[in-house]
Amino acid sequence: MIRSTFLATAALALLAGPAPAQSDDRLDVVAQFEIQAPEPSTSGYIFTRMGIAETLVNADAEGHLIPGLATDWAVSEDGLTWTFTLRDGVRFHDGTAMTADTVVNALEIARGKPGPLADLPITGIAPGEGAITVTLSEPLAALPAYLAEFRSQILAPASYGPDGAGVEIIGTGPYRITAMAPPLSLDATAFADYWGPPPHIADVGYSGVSRVETRALMAESGEADFVFGLDPASVSRLGMLDSVEVLSVPISRTLLIKLNATHPFLAQPEARRALSLAIDRAGIARAVLRYPEGATQLFPPAVAGWHDDALSPLGHDVGEARALLAGLGWQEGSDGILVRDGKRFALTLTTYPDRPELPLVAAVLEQQFRAIGVELTINSTNSSEIPAGHQNGTLELALLARNFSLIPDPIGTVLSDYVGNGDWGAMNWRNADFAALVRGIARGVGGDRERAGAAAILQAELPVIPIAWYRQTLAVSDRVEGATIDPFERSFGLQYMRWAE
Amino acid sequence: MSALASRLVQAIMVALLIGAATFAMMRSLPGDAAWRIAAGRYGYDNVDAAAADAVRAELGLGGPALPALLQWLGDLARLDFGTSLVTGRPVAAEIAHQLGASASLALVAVLLSLLIGPPLGILAGLRPGGPLDRGLLVASTGLKAVPQFLMALVLIVALAVQLRWLPAAGHGTARHFILPGLTLALGLAAVNARIARDAMARIAAMPFWRFAQWKGLSERQTLIRHGLRNVSVPLITYLGLQFVTLVEGVIIVESIFGWPGIGHALVHAIFSRDVPMVQGTALVLGLGFVVVNAAIDLAVRHLDPRVAA
Amino acid sequence: MSVVEIHGARRPSLPLARMTGATLVVLVVLFALAGPLLVPGDPFAQSLMKALAGPEAAAPLGYDHLGRSVFHRLAHALRLSPLIALAAVATAGAAGLLLGTLAAAQGGWADRILTMLADALLALPGLLLVLIVLAILPGTALGFWAGLSLVLWVEFFRLTRAATRETLASPAVQASRLLGFGPAYLFRTHVWPEIAPMMLTAAAFGTATAIMAIAALGFVHVGMRAPTPELGLMMVELLPYWREAPLALLSPVLATFALLLGLTLLAGSRET
Repeated sequence: MIRSTFLATAALALLAGPAPAQSDDRLDVVAQFEIQAPEPSTSGYIFTRMGIAETLVNADAEGHLIPGLATDWAVSEDGLTWTFTLRDGVRFHDGTAMTADTVVNALEIARGKPGPLADLPITGIAPGEGAITVTLSEPLAALPAYLAEFRSQILAPASYGPDGAGVEIIGTGPYRITAMAPPLSLDATAFADYWGPPPHIADVGYSGVSRVETRALMAESGEADFVFGLDPASVSRLGMLDSVEVLSVPISRTLLIKLNATHPFLAQPEARRALSLAIDRAGIARAVLRYPEGATQLFPPAVAGWHDDALSPLGHDVGEARALLAGLGWQEGSDGILVRDGKRFALTLTTYPDRPELPLVAAVLEQQFRAIGVELTINSTNSSEIPAGHQNGTLELALLARNFSLIPDPIGTVLSDYVGNGDWGAMNWRNADFAALVRGIARGVGGDRERAGAAAILQAELPVIPIAWYRQTLAVSDRVEGATIDPFERSFGLQYMRWAE
Repeated sequence: MSALASRLVQAIMVALLIGAATFAMMRSLPGDAAWRIAAGRYGYDNVDAAAADAVRAELGLGGPALPALLQWLGDLARLDFGTSLVTGRPVAAEIAHQLGASASLALVAVLLSLLIGPPLGILAGLRPGGPLDRGLLVASTGLKAVPQFLMALVLIVALAVQLRWLPAAGHGTARHFILPGLTLALGLAAVNARIARDAMARIAAMPFWRFAQWKGLSERQTLIRHGLRNVSVPLITYLGLQFVTLVEGVIIVESIFGWPGIGHALVHAIFSRDVPMVQGTALVLGLGFVVVNAAIDLAVRHLDPRVAA
Repeated sequence: MSVVEIHGARRPSLPLARMTGATLVVLVVLFALAGPLLVPGDPFAQSLMKALAGPEAAAPLGYDHLGRSVFHRLAHALRLSPLIALAAVATAGAAGLLLGTLAAAQGGWADRILTMLADALLALPGLLLVLIVLAILPGTALGFWAGLSLVLWVEFFRLTRAATRETLASPAVQASRLLGFGPAYLFRTHVWPEIAPMMLTAAAFGTATAIMAIAALGFVHVGMRAPTPELGLMMVELLPYWREAPLALLSPVLATFALLLGLTLLAGSRET
């Protein structure tokens, strides 16, 4: 008896011993994303970030489009025919060559699935001599940016089943998959026939860990080398450690309140401005997000061309907010909540816990809105309730995080969110001037002046209320160097990292 | 034989209950199932009306209830669990994949608990009222009051983060088993130590035990010849009942430690309303209980022929 | 949520342990009910400037990450889950008692069907049932109540049925029957005194189980939702700050432990 207890303790001690938390030569990446299937339209962003699959067009850290699997692209005079010249000597991980036909095959399959390509005015994609041509029914200046999106990744024909569903990820990237176990893990190794410079670190592994607390603990305990998506609290905690370096860059994602602009309480711009004035953005940024500052306008500085330093910033002024609402006929009721025509100023704010900061910010907003007499009920639920509520008109307020650069050119998101009936953008808000400006920019006419004009309309009308600009944070262990963060959230940059000496 | 027949009835009832519950879940989803499923598939950045429409068209959601229920029961009877709404893979394949991870974790937990609990319990039971017995009572009562998630929290902060002995989470190597395994094992050990202690104390007070010692066997020999077999019967019976505790622990522990098992899959499936996955995982867990207990009925009969009589 | 089994050879009861348990439970309940009266405060009021600040007169346990008083949130949380737990135990106890007596008294098909149902429920992990019910019903508190009641009644049913069957077969009951006493009288004089102590133990145990379940699901983000103060949710929210504000994390941890330990001791010499 004593012996077996002793044995158990000894076995534990042996396994647990003082050995370093890891001693292998594999770079362990941890992020929140779960691999659902070898399907580019759903889990494709994991494969592009891990350097397994590539797109025709890439984006650099400033958002400029640079060559990827296409070396060059050009558009015809009338703006309706685009030609993308393909890179020579590119091989898929199964050894087959990338040709114009395989590229067309991949793009046609991507276009048949839900995603940004599906909505474009594309009339045909045709293979040419070392090139492909895309024909359009109307001009679209941002087409190359759409081809930089993860769902436009180019996979070998053998990656797809007969119905087009993904069955295996055979990409062209610097790493090829050696083992994939959905939903949580993936191993990859350097691809010998890669067309570009070979990666420094040969073996990489990906683990999906959905709980942010657990991810931070994995970074803290040295279990993972590259931990993506940290919560603000963990950032300050990890910052105290010597063995981990925390990186942080501003990204083109904004925390904002989406609101129903035809709701009787919210129809006037003054009402929306009052809500905006009630928000203590600096306080939220410091206490919840631990950022130095809050948002002063919708577009973060990372969204080049759309962010306008000249715009007068959104402020915090409870007195003015109350005055604006009083001007709209609201009067304070006995419990401090405003009343008009017998109706209380009570709204429901829908948000989702997938991003851990959202429910926290919602809790803060509930208090800050109460200070101007607006009662908020928080409904923290599945993220799909927001677009669903948008479609059936029941949504009142929603707190969400919107990335303007899902496609590296923000015009795609601006167009779908604020001109079209975008599920994640303005709700029941129409502005002819704004629409004209943005349509022009999309066609390729119009530059910084038009963009600034469009941004100024959003600032004045507030179809959505910006709260904070996001930063992406990640923790890198001191075993590796050369880690960077892609502000466009397209790549982990593994092929540029090397082991520390 | 009647014991096995009643287990069979239990299994059928379990299947019916889960079928009815999951069907009710599918029908009473707050909001539109297609939206939920689309969110699970495409993520919050990309779920929109087009994605929801694609899901609705693909899965044929929104038909009348009665044919759906009949179809549902028919599939269930043929053990066809359907395909996962989120990943599009057959539920049976998903579960087969995840069951291994869960089963190995559960096995490690049970073995660890058997290495920790019963030896201490037997030692305590040999000297009832002694210092070890009292100490064990306090320790096991304290441990029983610690929920698994709290135990996980304490172990992670102490062993992984502060001392850096063990990985805080993840899976893949033997070292990854220790923290989740220990989290589950300590709770199990708290109980099986008491069971072993009580059984041992009862046996040690019986005449045959004194007789064995009287005829010259050492305490050690007496224990091996007469004690272990007798202690093992209540212990094994108890393991079967603890299976439910174990499964609940696995659900919690897997989501905390990021373990790619069936509990993790279940929580995820419930969150994204992947009803076929919920149904499949729930069936496997429920029928697992029945099978384990049927096996234990047989094992106990083998160890203690009096039961069969 | 475990199977409760009365152990054949009951150890001598431990009045000391039960007293300790009762004291712990009373202390926790006292804190939950009287604490906010002694130190008035709002569990939801935030003061971002005070985020993670240490204890002071208005907030004896310091502030959480949003500058809310941990003391008041804890007191609120210690009312919420025990309340849901008690409601579920009361419902489950009543249902179990009723159906158990019915099954034992009627026998036949009613008994067989109820027993089969109870056995099937016994095979399902309780957390799983609660999760499914939570997914079906709108409202988390309602879902917890319904789910936990569904899980817990089985235990009361089995105890009542077994004890009632035994009692009804006893000579004393036979005699009463012959004397023409009705079922209500039989239940009150013969059955209830027999099962009452067991019911109390099962209730304490069920309450602990329910509180654990609510906290565990809160901890894995499928239970109560922020900003509701709930024990498991408080712990998971404060976990990232454990280096900066250890007291804030420790408060819900210790309170949960004290409450569960108290209930376990109160339940007495039963095994989980």
